[in-house]
Amino acid sequence: MDLLLTLVSAALIASAIRLTVPILLTALGAVFSERGGVVNIGLEGIMIMGTFGGAAVTLFVARGFPEFTAAHPNIAPLVGILAAAFVGTLFALIHAVVSITFRVNQIISGVTINLLAAGLARFLNILFFRVSTQSPGINGFTPISIPLLRDIPGLAPLAKSVSPVIPVALLLVLIGQWVLRRTRFGLRLRAVGEHPLAADTLGVNVYLMRYLGVLISGALAGMAGGYLAIEQGRGYLEGMTQGRGFIALAAMIFGNWWPLGALGASVLFGYFDAFSLRVVNLRIPYQFITVLPHIATILVLAGFVRRAQMPTADGLPYSKEEE
Amino acid sequence: MSSGARFFLLQIVALLLAILFGALVGSAILLAIHKNPLEVYGLMVRFNLTRADSIGSILYKSTPLILAGLATALSFRVNLFNIGVEGQYYIGAIAAAYVGFAVTGLPRAIHLPLVLLVGVAGGMLWALLPIVLKLRRGAHEVITTIMMNAIAGALVLYLLEPGLLRDPAQAGTPRVRTPDVAPGAQIPSLLPLIHLLGLRVPESSRLNWLLLVGVALCVLFWWILGRWRFGYEVRAVAQNPDAAEGAGIANQRIMFLMFILSGGVAGLVGLSDVLGYFGYYDIDFPKGYGFLGISIALLAKNNPIGVIVAALFFAFLDRGAQGIQVFAGAPREVITILQGLIILAIVVGYELLTRYIRAQRKREAQVTPPLQPVVAPAGAGEGSD
Amino acid sequence: MESPEHFIELRGISKRFPGVVANDRISLEVRTGEIHALVGENGAGKSTLMKILYGLYQPDEGQIVVKGKVVPIDTPRQALELGIGMVHQHFMLIPRFTVAENVILGSEPTAGGRLAMEQAVQQIEALTRQYEFVLNPRELVANLSVGEQQRVEIIKVLYRGAELLILDEPTAVLVPQEVEDLFNNLRRLKEQGKTIIFISHNLEEVLEIADRITVLRGGMVVGTVLAAATTKAQLAEMMVGRPVLLQIERPDVPAGDVRLSIRDLVVRGVRGRPVVRNVSLQVRRGEVYGIAGVQGNGQTELVEALVGLRPVAAGEIRVDGEDVTRQTVRAIKLLGVAHIPEDRQRRGLVLPMEVRENLVLGYHLQARFTNGPLLDLPAIDAFAQERIRAYDIRVPTTTTPALALSGGNQQKVIVAREFAFAPRVLVAAQPTRGLDIGATEFVEQQLMAAKAQGMAVLLVSANLEEVLSLSDRVGVMYKGELVAEFGHGEASPQELGLYMTGTKQQRAGAAAGPP
Repeated sequence: MDLLLTLVSAALIASAIRLTVPILLTALGAVFSERGGVVNIGLEGIMIMGTFGGAAVTLFVARGFPEFTAAHPNIAPLVGILAAAFVGTLFALIHAVVSITFRVNQIISGVTINLLAAGLARFLNILFFRVSTQSPGINGFTPISIPLLRDIPGLAPLAKSVSPVIPVALLLVLIGQWVLRRTRFGLRLRAVGEHPLAADTLGVNVYLMRYLGVLISGALAGMAGGYLAIEQGRGYLEGMTQGRGFIALAAMIFGNWWPLGALGASVLFGYFDAFSLRVVNLRIPYQFITVLPHIATILVLAGFVRRAQMPTADGLPYSKEEE
Repeated sequence: MSSGARFFLLQIVALLLAILFGALVGSAILLAIHKNPLEVYGLMVRFNLTRADSIGSILYKSTPLILAGLATALSFRVNLFNIGVEGQYYIGAIAAAYVGFAVTGLPRAIHLPLVLLVGVAGGMLWALLPIVLKLRRGAHEVITTIMMNAIAGALVLYLLEPGLLRDPAQAGTPRVRTPDVAPGAQIPSLLPLIHLLGLRVPESSRLNWLLLVGVALCVLFWWILGRWRFGYEVRAVAQNPDAAEGAGIANQRIMFLMFILSGGVAGLVGLSDVLGYFGYYDIDFPKGYGFLGISIALLAKNNPIGVIVAALFFAFLDRGAQGIQVFAGAPREVITILQGLIILAIVVGYELLTRYIRAQRKREAQVTPPLQPVVAPAGAGEGSD
Repeated sequence: MESPEHFIELRGISKRFPGVVANDRISLEVRTGEIHALVGENGAGKSTLMKILYGLYQPDEGQIVVKGKVVPIDTPRQALELGIGMVHQHFMLIPRFTVAENVILGSEPTAGGRLAMEQAVQQIEALTRQYEFVLNPRELVANLSVGEQQRVEIIKVLYRGAELLILDEPTAVLVPQEVEDLFNNLRRLKEQGKTIIFISHNLEEVLEIADRITVLRGGMVVGTVLAAATTKAQLAEMMVGRPVLLQIERPDVPAGDVRLSIRDLVVRGVRGRPVVRNVSLQVRRGEVYGIAGVQGNGQTELVEALVGLRPVAAGEIRVDGEDVTRQTVRAIKLLGVAHIPEDRQRRGLVLPMEVRENLVLGYHLQARFTNGPLLDLPAIDAFAQERIRAYDIRVPTTTTPALALSGGNQQKVIVAREFAFAPRVLVAAQPTRGLDIGATEFVEQQLMAAKAQGMAVLLVSANLEEVLSLSDRVGVMYKGELVAEFGHGEASPQELGLYMTGTKQQRAGAAAGPP
C-alpha cells in the first residue's frame, strides 16, 4: 500500500517531471534531426558538452560579476543555459558536416562525436577547474511557482518551487509539434526525411534542411545538458548524463517521431528515473532500480519498433548527382 | 604499380594525414596551455621508445585493446554496431573471476582454459539479448547494447555486495573486490618468452600470454574472413543483404554468429587485467576499453590485422599520455582528445578515399569498349511494324 | 508580345561524367505548342539532357535559350521560374504525404510561416477541373493508382505555371488504356498552349503522339524528323546506327513434359493480405510462359515465392515433380531453379564484390569452388574467365568490381551465372529493364536459347511487346489472380490490356475489379 501511494504521490510526479526535462528536450531535438533523415547517436556526447558548458559558463558569469549576480541571480544560469545550447549546436555541426557533407555513416559519425566529447569534457574541466571529474557548485534559476496550480492543495510539490526551464521545455514541445505539422519548414523537413530526391527536384535545399535539423537537435540536447547541470546537479559531474542521450532516442521512437509522442514517452522514462531515486527500502537491490530507465528502453525498443513508422529516408546519406 | 597496391598506399597516406591532423590540433591545444608541442611530442616519443619499461607497458596495454578492437570489428563487419563490448567484458571478467576463485583444486591445464571459456561465455551471454531483439524485432542494436552496458555496470556492483562475490577478507578496508583466483586460473606471464627474444622488459611487467591469444585470434579471423566460404558470405551480407538473401545465404544466421563471436571475444578483454595482473575483480577495474575498441576498429577499417597495429598505436599513445603528464606537466586528456580527433579525421578520410577508389574503378572499366550490339543475321531486314 | 517560335533551344550542350561523355555538343529546338519526342536507347543521353534542362545538372559546355533569351539553369527552381516543368519517370512523390502536400512542396502558399493548406487545396481543385483530371487533393499518395500518381506529377508542374512539360518515359508503367488517357490529357494541354517534350524508347507511341521526333545516339543528335514522315524502322535504325532486328526468332521446340507446376498458390503480402490468389499454371520443357500485367498485381510476389524468398501460405509448387513449396532459397537453387531478378543491382549482384565473386554468387558452396571451408580461388577464377569469354562480358579483369560494369554487362554476369549449372527452370523477371537495344537483344536470345536447351522458362515482363513476341503462352495477372491465358498470337495487345486492367475477365463468375 505504501508503495502504491508512493507511486502516485505528487512529490514523485513532480520529481518525474523534473527528471523528464533532459530526456524530453533531447528527444525533441532527435525528432527534428531524424525527421530530416539524419540519425544522431551523438546526442549523448552533445548533452555531455552541454552539461560542462552550462556549468562552466554559469560559474564564470557568477564569479566574474559577483555583485551583478547577487542582484540579478537569474542572469548567470540564463547565460549558462544559452551557452550550453550554443555548445551543443557547435558539436552538432561537426556531426552534420561529417555525415551530411562527407556522407560518412551516420552511426559512426555519432559514435565519434561521443568519443570526442568524453575526452574534451574531461580535458576542459581540468583546464579550468584543475579536477578531472567535477566542477565547483553553482546556483541555478530562482524557482517559480505556477499561478493556478499552486492553490490546489495536494498539488503543492508540482506547482511550487518549479524550475522555470520546465514550462519553457513544455512550450518548446508544443512549438515543435506545431512547426513540424503546420509550417512550411516542417513540411520541407519531413519531405527531406521521406524522399530527399523528390524534395530536391522541387527546389528544396536538402542539405540545408538536414543541417538545420541536426543543428536544432544539437541546440536542444545542449540545452538539456545545461538544465541537467544547472538545475539538477548544480554543477558539472562526469557521467551525469547517464545515457540519457540514448534513452531520448528510445523516447523518440516510442513517440513515433512526433514531439507530442516524445513528450509522453519521456514522461514515462522520467517517471522511472524519479522512482529509482526515491525508493530505497524495497526488496529489489538499489543497483537495479538505477537502471530501470535502461531496462525500460530495451523493452520499448523490443516491443514497439515494428509498429512505429520512421521517416523513410532516415539514416541514408543523400548525394545530389548519383554515381 | 597495380591499382590494388596503389589504393592500399593511399589508405596509409590517409591514415598518416589523419594522425597529422590530430597532432596539429593537439599542438594548438598544447600551445593554449602554454606547452611547447614539439617538446611534448618529443618527450612522448622518447619516453616510449627509450625507457626499459615502456615496451612492456605498451605491449601490456595493447592486449585488451587488441581484443576490444577485434570484438568491435567483428560486429562492424556485418554492419552491426556492437557498442556493448564494454558491458560484455565486465560480465566476462566477473564470471571468469568467479570461476577462478570459487573452483579450487583444478590443475592449471584445466582451470585456465575453463576460466577463459567462462569469460567468452559471459561476453556471449551479454550479447545475446541485443542480437535477438535486433533480428526478431528490429530493435536498434546501438541503443540496446548501450543499455546493456549500464545494466552490466549495475549487475557487477550488485554482485560485489557482501555475501555475494565480495571478498570477506577485505572487510574493514575500502577495497571492494572478489577473492583472489586460484593460481591455476592465472594467466602465465609472457616474460620468459620475451626475455628469450632478447627484449628488455623489467620483471615488474605483467605482460602475459593473453597478448598472443589476442594476436592469434586476429590472424585467425583475418584468415577466415578473407579465405573461407564463411568470410565470403559475411562480405555478401554486409555489402548487399538483399543479394545475399537471393543467393540463398542465411543472412540472419551469419549476423547472429558474427555478433555472438563479437561478444565472445569481448568477454576476453578484461581477462588480461583480472587473471594476468590483479588476480581478482575489483570495483575499480579498468573501464573504457569498449569505447577504445570502437576507435581501434574504425582506425583499422575493421581489418583484424589492422586491429593489431591500431591497438599498438593506441597503447603507444596511452603510454605517452602517462609520460607527458608526469614529465611535461601536460594533462593526459590531451592525448584522449588527440585520439578522438584522429578518429574523426580518419572516418572522413576513409569515406572520401572509398568514393575516389570507386570512381577510379569505374574509369578503369570504361577503357574497354562498351558492349557491341549483336550482329543481326543475314536476311533480317526491317522488322515488322 | 508574341511568343517566339522556339520555346527552347539547346546549343552545343555537352556533359561529361567519369569515364563517359553523356551529352556531346547537342543542339536542338523545340517549337512552342508542339509535342516533341526525344528518343534513344538507354545510355544515349536523353535523361542527362533533360536533367540539364531542368536544372539538376549543369552542362560543361553549351547554352540554353528559353523564349529567345540565353539563360543559365542552375537549379530546378530556376527552371520552374522559366516555365519548365519535369514529370519524372520514377515518380518523385512522397507516399506518406497527401496529394496537396506533394504538389505544393517547395512552392507552398504560406500565411506568415504557416502553411495555407486550404488555399492550396482550392488551387489544386481549380487546376484539376481546368484540365479535367480526376484527383482528390486530400488523398494520401500511397493510396493512389499508378495512373493517378502520374497525374499528380503533372499537376505538380502545372501548379507552378509550367509552360513546357518534360515527360520522362511516362508510359513505361501504364497499360494501353491508361496510355490513351494520358495522350488525351496531353492533347488537351497542347490545345491550351503548352509545349511538351516526350522522352521514350517506345517508337509506336512516339509516332502516335508526337509532332516532331529527335533521335539521340551515343550522346549526340542523329537527326530530327517529322513524325508523319518517318517509320518505326527508320527511327530504330537511327537509334542504333544499323538495321535492327525488331522481331526475335523463336526456335521451334516441341513442348515436353511439365517441368514447373504451380497449383492454387496463395502468397501473403504486407498486413497479411493475399497478393497472389490461387494462381495455377504449368510450364513445360522447352516452353516460354510469359506473365503480363501491370506491376503491382502480384507478379513480384509470385516470383519471390517460386525462388523461396517469400513464404507460401497455401498451394503447391513442383519442379520436375519435386515439391519445393516450403524449401529454402538455397535448396531451390540446388534443385535447378535459376533466377534472373527484376532488380539486378539489388537482388542479383553484390556490386562492390569482384566480377568473379559475383559469378559464383549463390553457387559458391559447390565442391568445385571450395576446398573444405576455404574458397578455391583458382577454380573460381578459371570458371569466371570461361564465363566472360562465353558471354562476351566486357570487363578488364576478373577482379574488377561489378559496380564498374555497364547495366548490360551486369545483366550478362547474372545470365552467365544462372545458365551455368544446367538449370531446369528459369525464372526471368523484367530481364531487359533498363538495357539498351543491343543488350536487350542479347538477353532475349538467351531466353530463346534456354527454351532450346529444354528449360521451362517463366518470363515476367512489363514490356508487353516482349512478352507477346517471346512467349509460347501468356498469362495475365490482375490483382493477384491469373485472369486469362492465351497461346502465342491468340490475343492482341489491346485485348491483353483489357485483362490487365480487370475490364474483361476470361473466367466466368470471377468478381470484376474496378476499371
